[in-house]
Order: sequence, then C-alpha cells, then structure tokens
Amino acid sequence: MTTVSIDGLGKRYGATVALDDLDLELGTGVTGFLGPNGAGKTTLLRCLATALAADRGRLRILGLDPAVPAQRTELRRRIGYLPQNPGLYPQFTAYDLLDYVAVLKEMTNGQQRRAEVRRVLDEVELTDRARTKVRKLSGGMRQRLGLAQALLGEPQLLILDEPTVGLDPEQRMLFRALISRLGERRTVLLSTHQTEDVGALCERVVVMNSGRVIFDGSPRELVAAADGRVWLSTTAPSGSQAYWRNADGLYRTLGDQPEGGERGQPSLEDGYLLLLGTTARVRAAR
Amino acid sequence: MTGWHIDAALLADYERGALGPSRVMAVDAHLLACASCRGRVEVDTVWLAGDWAAVFDAVHAPKQGALRRLLGRLGLPEHRIQLLAATPALRWSWLSATAAVLAFAVAAAYLGQTGARVSDALFLVFAPILPVLAVATAYGPPADPMQEITDTTPMAGPPLVLWRATAVVAVAMAMGMAAAVLLPGPGWYAVAWLLPALLLSIGSLALSTIVPLSTAASLLGGAWLAVVGTAATVHRESSLPVIFGGTAQLGYLLAAAVAVAVLTVRRSRLDPGETR
Repeated sequence: MTTVSIDGLGKRYGATVALDDLDLELGTGVTGFLGPNGAGKTTLLRCLATALAADRGRLRILGLDPAVPAQRTELRRRIGYLPQNPGLYPQFTAYDLLDYVAVLKEMTNGQQRRAEVRRVLDEVELTDRARTKVRKLSGGMRQRLGLAQALLGEPQLLILDEPTVGLDPEQRMLFRALISRLGERRTVLLSTHQTEDVGALCERVVVMNSGRVIFDGSPRELVAAADGRVWLSTTAPSGSQAYWRNADGLYRTLGDQPEGGERGQPSLEDGYLLLLGTTARVRAAR
Repeated sequence: MTGWHIDAALLADYERGALGPSRVMAVDAHLLACASCRGRVEVDTVWLAGDWAAVFDAVHAPKQGALRRLLGRLGLPEHRIQLLAATPALRWSWLSATAAVLAFAVAAAYLGQTGARVSDALFLVFAPILPVLAVATAYGPPADPMQEITDTTPMAGPPLVLWRATAVVAVAMAMGMAAAVLLPGPGWYAVAWLLPALLLSIGSLALSTIVPLSTAASLLGGAWLAVVGTAATVHRESSLPVIFGGTAQLGYLLAAAVAVAVLTVRRSRLDPGETR
C-alpha cells in the first residue's frame, strides 16, 4: 500500500539544486535512502517531515497534502522524525525531554502523556536512564532517546536521518533490531551512508545522487547490478582500474576484468559504488 | 532479567502482609517482571502496574523549580508550563543577564550624579530592545537546538512562536518595569518605554514572516537605535519628550496595531513547512 507519493518534487538552495523533479511511491516497511553527501537525502526527508517546504511538485503523505496548513498539522500528528542532529537539550533528563516533546505533540492530558513517555522509554530500553541528564548519556543512548521522541504518539510514518551514524557495532545492532521491529507495522524511511544498514534492514533501497533517484529496487537487485563487475586477482591490476587489497591479500577490482582476475562475489557496497561511478572517479584521480 | 525468584518464606510474609514498605515494593517490582513468581501468588497485575507507574512518574516527573511554580501560580496549565520551560529566553542564564543589565542601568542613574539624565535616557532607549532580544532568542535555530524536531510537531509554527513570544515579552516587560520604578527620574519614565517595546516585539514577529526572526529583530532593533540617535542629534536636550511624548506614543500604538494586523494575516508564514 502506498503511504508516500512524491510527484515532481523540486528544491533549490540558491544556485544549488537539492531535489530535481523527484518522483517516488513508498509504502509500509523499511526503505533506505543511500547517497553521497549533498545527494538530497536530508532535504527530501525534511520535506517529508514537514520541516521544509519544497519549491515545486506535490506530496501526498498518509493521504494528506502537507501544502495545506490544516492537513499539514494533521500529518504532524501522525509522523515521527529523528533528524541527523537532534540537538536534544543537554540539561533535560531523558524523562523531561520526552515529556516536553509529548506536549509539542499535543498530549495535554498529563496521565496519558506520562504513560506514553513510559511506553517509549521501555521500547528503546532506556527506562533505567529516565532520570539521567541528556549530556550524561552515551552517544548510543542519546540516539535511542532521539528515536524514542520520534515514537511518541505511535506515528504511522517514521523518518530517520542517519540514525546509526557514530554508533559502535553493538549499539548499531540494537538500533537495527529496533528499527526492523518498527518497520513491521508502519512506513520507516531512513537515510544512511552505511550500506550494511541497508542490507540488514531495508526491503527497498533508493539511491540518490545530485537530487535525483538513480536506483530504486531491493538490496538484492542492487547487489545484482554489480554481478560480473567485481574481480579478484593475486597481483595489482596494471591498468587504471579502481582496486584495493582485501584482508586475504587479494586485489579487489570493480569494473572491467583485470589481467588474471577471477570473478568475485559482489556486495551491496560494490553495487552502490559502481552505480555512483565512484570507480571512474578513483581512476581519474590516479 | 536475573535467575533469582522469591523464596517461599518471603512470599508467605508478603501474602500475610508482614513485610515493611520497602520490601513490599521490591517484591511488587519483581512480580511485575517475573511470570514464574506471579504464578505462585494471587496478585492483581493491572493494579500493581498502575501503582508502579505512579511511583515512576512521581520520581521522574519534571522538578517544580521557581519558574514553574511561578507560571503555575499565574494559572497556566501544566502542559503549557512544560512547553514554556524549554524556552531558551526563559532560562536562568538569560534572565540573570537581563536583570544584570537593568540593575546596571539603575545603578548608573543613581551613581552618575550630573550624568544621571544621560543614564535615564540610555535606559529608556535600550529598555524597549530587551523584549525584542527575548523574542529573538525564544525560538529559531540559533537559540533552540531542538528546532528541527519542534518544526515537525503539531505545535510548530504560529502556536509555539506566539506562546513563547508572549511569555518572554511579559517577563522582560515585568523586569523592565521593576527596574524603571527604581529610576530617580520623573514618574513617566516607568511606562514611557512600554509601547515602543511592544511595537518592536510585535513588529519583529510580523517581519519574521518575511525574513528569519533573528534578522527581523536585528533590523527593527537597529532601526529603533537609528531613529532615537537621529532624534537625539536633532533635538538635543528636548529629545526625550520628542521620542517618548504623547504624539510619539500614539504613533507607536498605531504602528503596533498595524504590526498585529500584519502578523494576523501572515501568521501561517511562521510555519517552517510553509513556502515563504
């Protein structure tokens, strides 16, 4: 079922084109947005989260049009947003902060609001840190608190901008478990630089570059795009190929087959890099 | 979850009501988390969960600081107090700085002797800018690190901006009034700056529907200083009655009314999701 419909969305910052006539249909489950810095991921997520108005195009989110003030307010009741830099007030305790965001989400009944705060604290496993000030929480805990505020009010659409950045492997795994659980019953959109996150979490991946969608499919399809373009060899390629030496001491080359190269197993990252033409840029830089 | 379970003797004491309050609470907490132990004793888990939720809230709920108590006494509901408590310009650091500036102005007026009139004038010129600064730091990205989250909530835009602006203007004006009555000059000093302050505050909000709030506040604050400076240069000794006299006050009132009208018509532009 389509929950987010994007039609010809455009946004500029001065002379820079952030979104270039974007068209997308998104549904329930976890969709990952991959792309280099400046690809337009954050701008798109901010438009979807109603924090930013697009210059042109139409959005239909959960059946509502965010360009219409009354529908925008209604939409805000149904979405949760974790920005890249949440800026959580350091002097607040985890409980105070969630209570404050719950008020912003129009939960005026104190008893119901506090019950909701307890629920989200429990969901992100921070109940025992309720009295801890934000500045004393670890990076991973702060990120989970950021997710908790997005979960207040049980939103139907969850928008997460780089939620796993800066997390250690254990925290990242915990976060992935949480997000995949949340994606079972709602639409979750997340942007990331980490192809591992996309492979582990997302049913669908959208790759963006220069404000445009350059790939839209399943992670498996993105891996398949690199099939026959990943090579392993015992000696360094002699040409201007992009390559690196892996942990087994073999040279991994992306693109054309080097001399003596044997076909390697492609990964999601290979598919992503080939799609962006990163290998061409590496070759050009040599 | 530990592997520990309530032993038979402790459970018997719990059922007989022979335990002290702290041990009862410990057993309650364990029963809520342990299905195995719950199976060995008759317990109303719904009641227990509610009881524990109340304890949890009592322990963790925001502390009733002086500011919250004051806002409560003014009749504000609890959720509004929670909303205003996060306003940067209502934090003690900001309020202390404002109080210090006003105290300095009053002290200068008393200690200046021959220069007292100059100090009074400085107070009247700068006092209207204090509420504008408060408004500028009450909302917006430079002052509020959580702005991006705030912008995506149903309270974003006009409701939050206006609530916070009203609160900080009220507080800044109350502090200004308290300082003004301590000034040694004529009685009208205490109120002469109020209308200019109101005009600059509402004007900043109205202008912020076109440019960012910090820019709007800087523009109007700068314009006020430029106008006052020009009047002082032209009229010299008689500049205060010109700037704060009856005719000027009427002008401020009319201009404030225009600013209110503009703000009302364009209030939707305060919403970050609205195209400017």
